[in-house]
Amino acid sequence: MFARHIGKELSAYAHGELPAAESARVARHLASCARCSAEFEEIKLGIRLVESLPPRAAPAALWGEIEAALAALAATNANSPTGFETETFAPVAPRPRDSRPEARARVRELVFGRGGATRLAGWRRAALACSLFILVAGVCGVVWVYRGSTRASWEVASLAGSPQVGSARVGKTGRLGVGEWLVTDADSRAQLSVANIGQVEIDPGTRLRLVSTKLTEHRIELAHGRMHARIWAPPRLFFVETPSAVAADLGCAYTLEVDDKGRSLLHVTSGWVAFETKDRESMVPAGASCVTQPGTGPGTPFFEDAGETFVESLARFDFARGGREALASVLREARARDTLTLWHLLARTSGEDRVSVYERLARLSPPPSTVTREGALALDRRMLDEWKGSLEATWLGGRDNNIKGTWRRLQAWMERNCPIP
Amino acid sequence: MEQLAVMTEERGSAGLVESCQRGDREAFRLLFEGYKDKVYSVALYFFGGDEALASDVTQQVFLKLFTRIGQFRHQSEFSTWLYRLTTNACIDEQRKRKRFEPAGDAESALLPRARGSAEEKVARHEVRDELQSAIAALKPKLRIAILLKYFEELSYAEIADALGCSQGTVASRINRGHKVLARRLGHLRGSMFGGE
Repeated sequence: MFARHIGKELSAYAHGELPAAESARVARHLASCARCSAEFEEIKLGIRLVESLPPRAAPAALWGEIEAALAALAATNANSPTGFETETFAPVAPRPRDSRPEARARVRELVFGRGGATRLAGWRRAALACSLFILVAGVCGVVWVYRGSTRASWEVASLAGSPQVGSARVGKTGRLGVGEWLVTDADSRAQLSVANIGQVEIDPGTRLRLVSTKLTEHRIELAHGRMHARIWAPPRLFFVETPSAVAADLGCAYTLEVDDKGRSLLHVTSGWVAFETKDRESMVPAGASCVTQPGTGPGTPFFEDAGETFVESLARFDFARGGREALASVLREARARDTLTLWHLLARTSGEDRVSVYERLARLSPPPSTVTREGALALDRRMLDEWKGSLEATWLGGRDNNIKGTWRRLQAWMERNCPIP
Repeated sequence: MEQLAVMTEERGSAGLVESCQRGDREAFRLLFEGYKDKVYSVALYFFGGDEALASDVTQQVFLKLFTRIGQFRHQSEFSTWLYRLTTNACIDEQRKRKRFEPAGDAESALLPRARGSAEEKVARHEVRDELQSAIAALKPKLRIAILLKYFEELSYAEIADALGCSQGTVASRINRGHKVLARRLGHLRGSMFGGE
């Protein structure tokens, strides 16, 4: 509570310029201090703004102008005992090449050494070659600048079998560049180092692509398979795109699995993850899971120790147009800890259904005095956040169920009952 | 060009500079090719996108570099020396120009351009112009620290060497620069980063 604020260290932290212990201290402080978190958002915006400016290539004619300026300067200083060692320069404008042979010889001698004078006869040919070189270098420069924007890469280590990056097998270690796919077959596993902010383990049968890696954002695409992420960065630096939603890390560890239909399961083991699409967001804490389906986006999060009927009714409500009947079953089966699900359902229902959700939620855990029935039903953001804050104590702890078994059952049930739109 | 960059890096601070000091023409060219875009980018954004001025400053930097390379004694990294030349050239040019500018605060003169609704500025180049103007309106000490970080890709220690100050000062200047830009251009968040 009395910890020193870290506003002045935020840019150094974002740039990886702090020692490890200091960096960990800043990360811990950010997780608990709203003021510094808000300031960090400001710093990240500043970084993204400057990063959005592209490096620019110097004009191709510049070398010629420098040579001309050197020649003119040499001619001016031809009688100076210090020759080129001139301390003051007027602003230099492009000047015509000095045509006096003796001045040119002097320039060459001064710039390229005495041996240069003997090569004077080949000067024109050399100039032509230089022009050609500048042209080729210019073209290469454009390619280089373009490639430069996609050169960043992460280290990938093989844990078993032969993972592949593109068509090349990864030896003990390799690199995964931006835009490249990492593929594991049925017998291989791999580990990715996420810049300096975390690690991702890739299970067999997975296909994953590095989309971008920048100071302010690291993003991968999980097309198919399963990955386990452990991230120790501040919130919203690491994102995983799946075919049906984006998982945004909020400082956590989690497993994410995508099946061959593009459905996915997020299972959080520590901290929080936001599972989101453009118009829908599920906040998933440790011990909870969330299922997504292409065309629908993230379903409502639920705790893994919830009853089977509760989980199945929720899937029916989220993905199979289960409507009021499915909702009634969810509300009937809900325990105190399932207020996580009910709190999310407030914004996913309307009219009488929302009133039913509110009443069940209020019965299981009465809202704080600052939250009114009208405000909650009108989805007042501040009130909903305050209610969520008071509920979070009941969401911590609890017994983890066998999520793998739950997911397999749910997958089979969704396969039968939830056609992908 | 990638090969050229590798060559420049390999021959780098010691080999290339020694070759230049011996009058090796190709070494001059390699040095120029290896660093010209970085020097030009810093100058360009230092002067708010003024290409002619950026070319002039880049020219001055390399002229100074080539005519004084005999004085370089390998006591510091070559790149640090070059970026010190770049920094000095930018700051000197700024001072010269300030003498001839009409009275008034350059930062506040730019502020009206940085306002207005994002809807009016959806055109990408306008947004970029606004960003360039905001960078150019930063105090020179903050501006050069930010530009050395992003366009020369220097560490805080290298920037401190180039500017002749402590790493803590560099961290503080970069932090202040980020904050000023974010506060001045917060209204562009939506048009630049998709409404996040």
